[in-house]
Amino acid sequence: MSLLRAWLAGLPAYLWSGWGAIASLFLLLAAWEAVSLVYGPLVMPDPRSAFGTLWVLIDSGAAGPELAATARRALSGYALSVLAGSVLGLVAGLSMTASMMSRPLVTVLMGTPPIAWLVLAMLWFGASDGTPVFTVFVAAFPVIFIGALQGTRTLDNQLRGMAEAFRLPRRMMFLDVYLPHVVSYLFPAWIAALGTAWKVVVMAELLATQDGVGAALAVSRSHLDTAATMAWIAAVVGLLLAVEYLVLEPVKREVERWREQGA
Amino acid sequence: MSHPIDHKPFGRLFDRLAARPLFMCGFRPFFLATAVYAVLLLLIWLGFLAAGLGVPAVRGGPVVWHAHELMFGFGLAAVAGFLLTAVPEFTATPAFGRRIALGMVLLWTAARLAFWLSGTLGLAGEVLAAVLNVGFLGALIAIVAPRLWRDPERRHLAFLWGLGAMWIALAGFHADALGGAYPMRWVRVGVGVMMVLIVVALSRISMRIVNDALDAERLRRNGGTARRHGEDDELPDYRARPPRRNLAIFGVALYTVVEFVLSGSVIAGWVALAVAAAVLNLLNDWHVGRALLSRWAFMLYAVYWLMAAGYALIGLSLLGAPVTPSAGLHLLTVGAMGVSIFGVLCIAGRTHAGHELDLRPWVLVAAAGLVAAALARSASGLPGMPMAGLQAVSAAAWVLGYGLAARYLGTVFVGPRPDSGTGCEEVLREA
Repeated sequence: MSLLRAWLAGLPAYLWSGWGAIASLFLLLAAWEAVSLVYGPLVMPDPRSAFGTLWVLIDSGAAGPELAATARRALSGYALSVLAGSVLGLVAGLSMTASMMSRPLVTVLMGTPPIAWLVLAMLWFGASDGTPVFTVFVAAFPVIFIGALQGTRTLDNQLRGMAEAFRLPRRMMFLDVYLPHVVSYLFPAWIAALGTAWKVVVMAELLATQDGVGAALAVSRSHLDTAATMAWIAAVVGLLLAVEYLVLEPVKREVERWREQGA
Repeated sequence: MSHPIDHKPFGRLFDRLAARPLFMCGFRPFFLATAVYAVLLLLIWLGFLAAGLGVPAVRGGPVVWHAHELMFGFGLAAVAGFLLTAVPEFTATPAFGRRIALGMVLLWTAARLAFWLSGTLGLAGEVLAAVLNVGFLGALIAIVAPRLWRDPERRHLAFLWGLGAMWIALAGFHADALGGAYPMRWVRVGVGVMMVLIVVALSRISMRIVNDALDAERLRRNGGTARRHGEDDELPDYRARPPRRNLAIFGVALYTVVEFVLSGSVIAGWVALAVAAAVLNLLNDWHVGRALLSRWAFMLYAVYWLMAAGYALIGLSLLGAPVTPSAGLHLLTVGAMGVSIFGVLCIAGRTHAGHELDLRPWVLVAAAGLVAAALARSASGLPGMPMAGLQAVSAAAWVLGYGLAARYLGTVFVGPRPDSGTGCEEVLREA
């Protein structure tokens, strides 16, 4: 409850500090405008026509289903990797041997480019939802796995010893000793993985499906419609920015606050 | 500094004049000139707008006269007054003395006269106006630069860069005017530089004003009912943090350059929107709770809002919204510049003359008048608004604001100090 109140009290200041981010984004738009002025609208449409096209897409109802399909795939794959990555990572972290063994495997997973997984997934799952979902899962899994592994590996043994000496109940042990520590590692990993998932799903859709933002991008590319291309990109990036800065970042700050105070 | 220039009659007159309380400190004659000149300029402009009365003929027409005099006449008088007082204080060096105050204000007056007459005197008049105006600012730079440069940590060099940029704008204006080009683009550069100077100056002034307000708020909290100790922890000190300020300054500078090179471009529009966001971002430091609502803190706070709104309107206008660019520009000049200069006159002007801050209601009336002037002038550029009427209202509100300043602050600037001080010191409290 006090956590919630602290969060709510800090919210206006947090939202207000968004003006700095907005200033940077406007400068990005200025650079975009400059590029479009130099190279012409065929190479790079100006921001206003891209946003205009996006508005038409939203207004006509064309954007909704595509974004929904993309979000569904990204979130399914992401949910799977959060579940599997967190559980397996936490478990692997408990054992020194398991974490030693799993590290090279994770490196292999991380090192394999998502496009390679995509080709495999297309062979295995065809043009179904399975292809993007699997690709997202494989791309996001190692990020979360590593986070979870670090979380349990870095648990403070002395702290545990003290908690045991005081005969802390199991529930308290879990909620007050382990959980805050592990979450402070898991949460950033979840956020990083969400970004990965969101990027990879569009790529997978571009090559493998008939609907979704990626497929829409493929269509606009074949029509040489750069305005629509930029509109879709703006939609995807805008959604990610909104989710990250409005939902995840404030939570992350709250979760990680104990670290700063400890330091 | 103490030896007389010469003993000819003119020299004696100069010294007798410089001995008056008005020249006790650099800000006194300049702040008086600022307030009086603000009223004079807008009265003439009101006559021109409402009754078609003539304004001094200068090359480029009435609008050029209006813009040049408000930016480089009124605006630079305030800058000169502020820096001639603040630079010795910031750098912990002796005050500049009476002769510099008198000499500089004479130079400023000559520059005004020369520009007013530049249209009637022909080429010679234009050259004279250029030399005197550019020379006045050059002299100001020559006076303050060594102090700013020799400061061990050089914490206040931003003022020097600002003055240098302002000098380029002023020199560019007169070069264009002499070359027969329309010189208005340089006035817009001047406005950008002025916004930077305002941000830099307010960061210094606000540290004092906002923290005073916070102290008063702490006193209020602890005074009424007995509060538990540690209550103060909820009211941390205010600090004008450099990173946010630098982002805003960078934005304003970038906009000024882009607008100058690619006048009317959409690129400049996006940058203007970025500046608006960066200025609002600056206000993060200011959100300190109730203390913000105190008179002086809120006045300075309003300056940033006017600045942000001005750049936002300019941006929207450049992006194609049905707003004239001058609507946003006048939020910057009438609003941000008008209100901040008024605030500096009230705060620095009184404290360095040995008076406590003015708590009388005229300050609020004048400040509200200036804000209203900015809003009315800006609204006159929106579609479907009665343009002439709103501009007249704006000019009248401005005259009211600075008229009150001239009336109530003028006596402070002209008169002797109420305490035992002999120069620019702040209020001396007898031990």
